[in-house]
Amino acid sequence: MDYSAIQKLENLLLVSVPRDLVDDDVIRMRRDILQAVRKYNSQIVLLDFSQVDICDSFFGRFIYSTAQMTKLMGAKIILSGLQDAVIETMVELGMALPDVDAVLDLDSALALSRAQAVQGSLVEGAASGPPEA
Amino acid sequence: MMTAGHDTLFFRIKDPMDVAKARREGMQMSMGLGFNQADATKIAVVISELGRNIVNYAGSGTITVIARSETNGKKYMRIIADDKGPGIPDVERVLAGGYTTSNGLGLGISGSKKLVDEFSIHSEVGKGTTVTAVKWLVK
Repeated sequence: MDYSAIQKLENLLLVSVPRDLVDDDVIRMRRDILQAVRKYNSQIVLLDFSQVDICDSFFGRFIYSTAQMTKLMGAKIILSGLQDAVIETMVELGMALPDVDAVLDLDSALALSRAQAVQGSLVEGAASGPPEA
Repeated sequence: MMTAGHDTLFFRIKDPMDVAKARREGMQMSMGLGFNQADATKIAVVISELGRNIVNYAGSGTITVIARSETNGKKYMRIIADDKGPGIPDVERVLAGGYTTSNGLGLGISGSKKLVDEFSIHSEVGKGTTVTAVKWLVK
């Protein structure tokens, strides 16, 4: 299955999750995400679900485990582009994924990541600046 | 006058690719019968969860998906997942959720039950399991 869709976008790692993922693809994809996080020193991994129209509990576990793994690398998972029907089904199935953040679309994700980048540079600036007299 | 009838899809399930095919075609069939995107998604997820259980616990089995129109105009989808696997020793516990020996979230059966209108499990240890799920089309 083709999922060559892991790209660096500003300080985001953008992952376009394919429409149908089977088990082997999921494990391969998760490893590729971890490698890319290390390569680009990504702080935010955006899982774009806009192509996905069926999200079962195995998919849920993929999201959850990827979030846990990237957290150990200092990166945060954000879901984006979940379709209404997918959201309704996930919640009714009991898969609300409380520890995983989401945004509506890529625009919102970019805005969030830019805000975080500005905040990060301010904090960095304060830490490395000269001590106040 | 309404005409009664049904269409049937039959899938042999032995690996995740078979499950992916069954859920995709089941979803298309549901939409063909008149289900909206959200309810067709739920039917697809139920097929996926039941198919995954077959692969994980029984190794192989079958899934039958039936789109049915009755003479009174009512329509429903019926999903039958059948295997000759080890069976479920404690069906009640599985229905209650959070019980898994495999790699899901423990939501497969208990979650599927919430997505449909009728849900039943017939299981005998050492003989196999048959799960039947029905979702009615509400206009």
